[in-house]
Amino acid sequence: MLSNEKIISTETILNEVHQIKDDGYRFVSMTTVENPDLTIDLYYHFDREYQLVNLKLTINKEFELPSISKIFLAAVFVENEIQELFGVRFDGKAINYGGHFILSDADLENPMCRNQIVIEQMEDK
Amino acid sequence: MGKTIIPFGPQHPVLPEPLQLKLVMRDEKVIEAVPAIGYVHRGLEKLAEQKDFMKNIYLVERVCGICSNMHALSYCMAIEEIMGIGIPDRARFLRVIWAELHRIHSHLLWLGLLADSFGFESLFMQVWRSREKIMDIMEATAGHRIFISTNTIGGTHKDLTKEQQKDVLNTVALVWDDMKAVEKVFFNDYTVQHRLKGVGVLPKDVAYELGTVGPMARASGIIFDHRTRGYAAYGELEFEPVVETDGDSLARTKVRLREVYQSINLIREAIGKLPEGEIFTPFKGNPNGEAVIRIEQPRGEVMYYVRANGTKQLDRLRLRTPTFANLPSLLHMLPGSSLADVPVLILTIDPCISCTER
Repeated sequence: MLSNEKIISTETILNEVHQIKDDGYRFVSMTTVENPDLTIDLYYHFDREYQLVNLKLTINKEFELPSISKIFLAAVFVENEIQELFGVRFDGKAINYGGHFILSDADLENPMCRNQIVIEQMEDK
Repeated sequence: MGKTIIPFGPQHPVLPEPLQLKLVMRDEKVIEAVPAIGYVHRGLEKLAEQKDFMKNIYLVERVCGICSNMHALSYCMAIEEIMGIGIPDRARFLRVIWAELHRIHSHLLWLGLLADSFGFESLFMQVWRSREKIMDIMEATAGHRIFISTNTIGGTHKDLTKEQQKDVLNTVALVWDDMKAVEKVFFNDYTVQHRLKGVGVLPKDVAYELGTVGPMARASGIIFDHRTRGYAAYGELEFEPVVETDGDSLARTKVRLREVYQSINLIREAIGKLPEGEIFTPFKGNPNGEAVIRIEQPRGEVMYYVRANGTKQLDRLRLRTPTFANLPSLLHMLPGSSLADVPVLILTIDPCISCTER
């Protein structure tokens, strides 16, 4: 567990982030970790005077989260990156790259996830 | 006249690395700009999950060709925090010396590229000539010009002999003199002022809100330098963060140029205070736990998140580089600027795209 870690829920995320902004924090980054049970741990990192605050969420991969880029524009790039590399979808991003922020059409879907390659099932095999 | 869309990059004479900007123009004015990356994504974070955690030191050095030493430093600090490894005093000072040599060569590279971006070729050559001296001393002390591989978990791989310390001090003295000569041009020359003063102003509150870091933030008046927290041996050295308040391209140039002097002073002080003793603490076992480390790279704050599970392979290595944090500032600076200023504005964030994409 990280120091200054606070576990939040998907319902309260926007309120929490609004509160963080009102308290004078700046956005640092977001981190995604895929757990062995294929859920995703998502951290939001904020900083004020060198003190890092980490908000932690655990979600299923298919879950669609509200984007915080309307509150912190700085989050827009990392949200696009996480959507492409991990498949966590963010609703209402300030800029939506449509899956082409880092990846091209020819790339695997969500290449940072563990189970990424699906072999096509052949008939009778 | 209607709008025109100009794709700027990924191949462009001013760009050292591939970055694309879709510039929506009206006449010569940019009215909207959206950066696009994805040309040099290598999946290094994924690769770090497959390799032994000791070998990852060499992997993270390859994230960036300019601040390679600092990437290894952040990674080693993260693993040391998880495993509770204390490093010897001499190693802490050695880490500062090589880190500051790296900062000097990064800032000199940038100052040269900036001069090149507004067509001042002779200034570009002058600055890069000085940079060569730093590259040579890194090769003489560590065996490589860029990937110096001095940091390891538990301390440093290499030591500085008395002779090498003298060579480092002589070299930085030469660079100091060189910088004094070019400083007048950067600070007073009419052409340079014309191209940089008042261009791409980033007010303090906007810079803070967009999460800018490093010289970008400090040029806008934000006092934000992780070295003041005292990691490695910075807590025992005297220095103040270099801060400017104008927030324009000239202020960003001044911050970086003055930081070259600051780094030279730090190197002199660190060599003066270099304690005798071991450079490495042996340790056993594998890391188990998680940690976030932030340090000050030449371009600004870098963040490393490491989660380990007690085996040789990590569960996750995540890194957020300073350029990634400074990209959103382009969304503010580019709209309203003229097309001729776009190269200068892109360069003032000191973009490192291979860092950003990993």
